[in-house]
Amino acid sequence: MGSDIFEVGVNFGKMVLIFVMMVQIVPLLVWVERRGSAFIQNRFGPNRVGPLGLTQLLADAVKFIFKEDFLPEKSHRLVFYAAPIMALIPAALAFAAIPLSMPIEITQFEMLGSIWGPYRFVFQGYEIGIGIVFVLGVSSLAAYSLLMAGWASSNKYSLYGALRASAQTISYELALGLSLVGILLLFNTFNFQEIIVLQDKALAFSFFGQEVSLGWLPNWGVFYQPLGAIIFFAAMFAECNRLPFDLPEAEAELVAGYHTEYGGLKMNMFYIGEYGHMLVASALMVTFYFGGYSLGPWLTEETVNGLSQWIVESISPTIVYLMDIPFPESFAAIFEASQNKVNILTAFVFHGVFLGKVLIFLWLFVHVRWTLPRFRYDQLMDLGWKTMLPWALANTILTAIVVLVMRMN
Amino acid sequence: MMSAIFFYILATLILVFAYKTITANNPIHCALYLAITMINLAFLFFGLNAPFIGGVQLVVYAGAVMVLFVMVLMLFDLKSEIRAFSRGLFSGLLKIASAGLIFGILSNAIFKTGDLLGLASGGPGMPDPAGTSRDLAIMLFTKYLFAFEALGLLLLLVAVGAVAVSRIKGGTHAN
Repeated sequence: MGSDIFEVGVNFGKMVLIFVMMVQIVPLLVWVERRGSAFIQNRFGPNRVGPLGLTQLLADAVKFIFKEDFLPEKSHRLVFYAAPIMALIPAALAFAAIPLSMPIEITQFEMLGSIWGPYRFVFQGYEIGIGIVFVLGVSSLAAYSLLMAGWASSNKYSLYGALRASAQTISYELALGLSLVGILLLFNTFNFQEIIVLQDKALAFSFFGQEVSLGWLPNWGVFYQPLGAIIFFAAMFAECNRLPFDLPEAEAELVAGYHTEYGGLKMNMFYIGEYGHMLVASALMVTFYFGGYSLGPWLTEETVNGLSQWIVESISPTIVYLMDIPFPESFAAIFEASQNKVNILTAFVFHGVFLGKVLIFLWLFVHVRWTLPRFRYDQLMDLGWKTMLPWALANTILTAIVVLVMRMN
Repeated sequence: MMSAIFFYILATLILVFAYKTITANNPIHCALYLAITMINLAFLFFGLNAPFIGGVQLVVYAGAVMVLFVMVLMLFDLKSEIRAFSRGLFSGLLKIASAGLIFGILSNAIFKTGDLLGLASGGPGMPDPAGTSRDLAIMLFTKYLFAFEALGLLLLLVAVGAVAVSRIKGGTHAN
């Protein structure tokens, strides 16, 4: 929580910001999805409302909010209303546990006549020691929202969609969990922060007693666990119920699956849940296999620190000069150059790196959706149980043997 | 102080939802209330500095076992289930018997514990959250290796048995 009012306030504000970040990426992603699908299928897509169709999102939001709130006659009221809210919770909880950038060290400073600090703020909602287990556990709760929505609608198609969805999430969770065991064995920790720090250097490992080092490549998990990365990414598609795994809402067979009876803001919440899941999936992929917020030898912390020091030192005097109005003495310090501002700027630069990587994977999600057709249901189950699970198991065993041999001496 | 407040909030929620689990008429509602109870229990573990157990509680019980329960329950004809659940001599006797059993277990536990509401003296302190999962793994794979493997074998047998039964009794997978 925090030791004084400043720390507690910052930590609470951080939670709200991270949730808002997850919610606000949804309209952008919807826009990317529609424009991207149009680009892939050689169409125009939404281009009438505002520049590049960007304010279409606003129009959609207004429509979602002001639509009539209706309830099917035979539905189970409490569960029907609880399901969309339940759709938001797992993605939000999981996203808040992922480090979005390096922790910010704040030294002592003076504000409003008193001394504050020193503090250490983590750039994430909350730091949980067993990050991987927590995120897996929380995201496995997503099946409830689908089941509740499908059952409470009292609609055959909804129920079929819900059953398909939950069977699919349970099946693919096994492959998902097993593909992560390789990463666990390799990095020897559950903690996201430690995993990222271990990847933040040049690629180096010992191969039968010989030190192999490739200075121009970062020490990313994907170079050690390529099979694990592929299985993890494919299983994440299934967990998000995205094409080619979107059997639960196969419109040709099931109308719209579990959210057939939903409309307006409740429908929108399912959307936010789905896109939030995509965001969590991309963030996890980046954290486990692509170095999180770090860029290894390509962009070291010293470089960014020097850069932000230069920026802060050259911008601060200008602002102080421009704002030449009689400030209260206690506010003047806000605009002066200091180590704290350099640290904050550095953290935000690395946050930008993280967001860039996440956006690449989100674009991959969109691209795959509009490229591959949907599976048949038995193909889906065969892929999960007969292909991905054995491969993930083999990957685990192979990694265990290799790690054991490498660490023998 | 803060953790005590969280503990009492979570404990109240657990008690309320556990009560709802046994009093709700609709089996689906019972299962959902039980799921909420388990999620609260997981967060109670987080509060007690045992995050690994909390995470496993979320993954295994709340995330997998209860989802399967809810899924199977949704396939039932709930109207006849509710009737079979809430009426009849046999189910009434069963209810009284199980209530008696639970009462016996609880009262026995309370009487044997003695100083239940007194302050704890000494005893193990808060475990180190970083070390617990490692300690747990070492315990499981050295001291309790036989029990651990035996349990795994038992679960495998159950799974094989379930497949065999489903193939004998007909249905989609009958041969």
